[in-house]
Amino acid sequence: MADASGGAPPILSIIGLSKRFGDTTAIDDVSLEIPEGEFFTVVGPSGSGKSTLLRILAGLETPDTGRVELRGRDLVGVPANARPTCMVFQSLALFRHMTVGQNVEFSQKMRGVPPAARREQALEKLRLVRLPESYYDRRVTQCSGGEQQRVALARALASDPEILFFDEPLSAIDFRLRKILEVEMKELHRRTGKTFLYITHSLEEAMVMSDRIAIMRDGRLVQVGTPAAIYHRPASRFVAQFMGEVNIFTVDGGRIEELAADGKGLGDGYLVVRPENLRPTGDADVSFDARVENDFMLGSRTQFHLKVGETVVIAELPGTAAQGIAPGSTGRWGFDLGDAVALED
Amino acid sequence: MLHGKRAGRVAALPVALLLLAGFAVPILLVVAYSLMPPRTFGLDGDPTFANYLAAFREGYWRPLAWSAGGALVTTLVCLLLAWPTAKVLSRRAGPLATTATILIALPIFISESVRLFGLSLFLMPGGGILAGTLDALFGVEIGTILNTRLAALLGYVYIHFPFVLFPLILGLSLVPREQVEAARDLGASGWQVFREIELPLAAPGVTIGALLCFVLSLGANAEMSILGGQAVTVVTRAIEQRFSYAQDWPLGAALTVLVIVVTAAVVLPLLKRIDLDGLIRQ
Repeated sequence: MADASGGAPPILSIIGLSKRFGDTTAIDDVSLEIPEGEFFTVVGPSGSGKSTLLRILAGLETPDTGRVELRGRDLVGVPANARPTCMVFQSLALFRHMTVGQNVEFSQKMRGVPPAARREQALEKLRLVRLPESYYDRRVTQCSGGEQQRVALARALASDPEILFFDEPLSAIDFRLRKILEVEMKELHRRTGKTFLYITHSLEEAMVMSDRIAIMRDGRLVQVGTPAAIYHRPASRFVAQFMGEVNIFTVDGGRIEELAADGKGLGDGYLVVRPENLRPTGDADVSFDARVENDFMLGSRTQFHLKVGETVVIAELPGTAAQGIAPGSTGRWGFDLGDAVALED
Repeated sequence: MLHGKRAGRVAALPVALLLLAGFAVPILLVVAYSLMPPRTFGLDGDPTFANYLAAFREGYWRPLAWSAGGALVTTLVCLLLAWPTAKVLSRRAGPLATTATILIALPIFISESVRLFGLSLFLMPGGGILAGTLDALFGVEIGTILNTRLAALLGYVYIHFPFVLFPLILGLSLVPREQVEAARDLGASGWQVFREIELPLAAPGVTIGALLCFVLSLGANAEMSILGGQAVTVVTRAIEQRFSYAQDWPLGAALTVLVIVVTAAVVLPLLKRIDLDGLIRQ
C-alpha cells in the first residue's frame, strides 16, 4: 500500500500476511506500513478479519504466511509477553480481582519493578487519562463504564509499549459517552505521541480519530487513505456504503437507470452521490422528477426521502434551503457530476 | 396457598426435620457419650473429660495425625494432578473432552470397595495384573507396593481425584480467556499468569475441591485397610475399634468429636472466604 502520510519511517510493517481457520480465510495477503506516531484505524464489518489481524500483531495468533516487522525486527514467533506492544481489548479485560492501581501496575510488577516506583508511575498514568489519584485503591468493579475505559488505557500506557492496539474498546459504550471518549482518545494520542492502531466497525468513529484509515473486507484491505480521501474518493461501492447513507445509481451504457437523464458517457458502472449534493433544481448536470415522500429534521440539516419512479433517493439540505419543501410536493431535483464519484465496482 | 415467609418456612420443614433427626441428634448423642465415664454404655453417668485426656495420654493423636497428614498429602497430590487436566477440559469442547470427562466421572457410580479391590488385584505381586502382565510379556519381574502407605496414598488419590477435578473445572471456567490474554500481552510469563490471574480467579473452585478431598480423605479408611494393609492405623479405624472390639463407646465418641473439631477448624474459615451463592448463580 502506498505510504500516504509524511516521510516518517514505518514503525510497523505488515508484509503478505495470511491466516486461515479451517476453510475460511480470515486474513488474505495483507500488506501495510504504519509510520511512527500515526493514529491508524482498520475499519470493517464483523467477520472481515480485522480482529484476527490485531490478534496476530499482538502475538495471540500465529499467521500462516507473511511477516510482521516492528522497526525492522520480525515479530512472528515472538510470544505475546515478549512483544513491546500492548492491546486494549473489546471487553477491556480488566483484572476484576484487583484494584485500579494493581491493574495499572500489572506490567511493571511482571517486570519486577519495586512497589514504590510502580505506584509512582501508576499515579502518573491515572493523571494522564484524567482519573483522580483516589481511584488507585478502588476496585475496578466499583468503576463506571467510562472510568473502566480509562483504567484500561492507563494500564496499556503503563506497559510503555512502542505501539498500542485497540480492539473496538468503545463499541459497548453508549453514544454520548462514546463521543467524549473518541475526543479523549485523539487527545491522548497527541499527548503521548505513541503509534495507535485501532480497529472498529464504525467508519464514523474512525473518521473522527484517525490520521489514516484502511477499509477491510473478507480479509483484504480494499482501500487505505486519509479520512478525507476515503470520504471523497471511495474506491468501491462497498466503501461508499460503509460511510452510511449514500445514493448509488447504476450507470448502464451511458445512461443512469431509473433516472431521466444521461450519465454523460460514463460507461458501465456506478455513480455515488452523497445526500448533501442533491438540490431541488432542474439546472444541474443530472436532474429528474421526484416526489418528496418524507422529511426528517436532523438539526442543522433536513433529510428528504425522494421517490423517483420506484427508487428512493436521499437528499439533505441545510436549514434555510429546506424551507418550503413539504412531503407530497413534486419537482425537479438534480446533482452535478463533479460532486458524484464514478465507480466500476 | 401460602405466601411469602410462611411458605418458605413450610417448604423448609421436611428437610429441617430430616437434618434434626439424622444429623443434629446423632452429633449431640456422640458429644454426650464422649463426656460419660470410660467404658460405660448409658447416658446417666457423671459428665467427665476423662475420655479426652485418655485420647491424648494413650497416643490417639497418632492416628489423628496420620489421617490429617494423609488427607493433606492426598489433597495436594490431587490438586497438582487435577489442575492441568481441568485446564484442558475447561477450554476444550468436543467428543474427546466429553469422553474424557465421562471416563473420569463414571467410576464414582461404582462402589468404592469394589474399585479398591480392583486396584489391589492390579497391584498384587506374582500373578497380579501389573506384575503378571509384565512378567508374561516382557519377562520383567517386579515387586509390589501393596500393603504400604504408598499404595494407600495411591488409593486415596484414585478415589478422591474426581472430587477435586470437577470443582477445578468449574473454577477455571470462571477465568475469562481475555484476562489471560491481557496478562500475557502485559508481559506475564506462564507462571505469572498462573499466580496472578488463574489461581485467584479460580480460587472458589480450588477451595471447594480441596475441602471436599480433605474432608472425605480424613474420614476414609477403606484405602488403608484394602491397599495399605493397615500399615498405619487411621483415625476412623481407631474409632471403629473403640466402638466394636474395645467396647469403649465414650472413648470412641471422644475421638469422633476430635475429628469433627479438626474438620470444622479447617473447613469453616476456608468456606467463609468463598462466595458460594455467587458461584452457584454463575
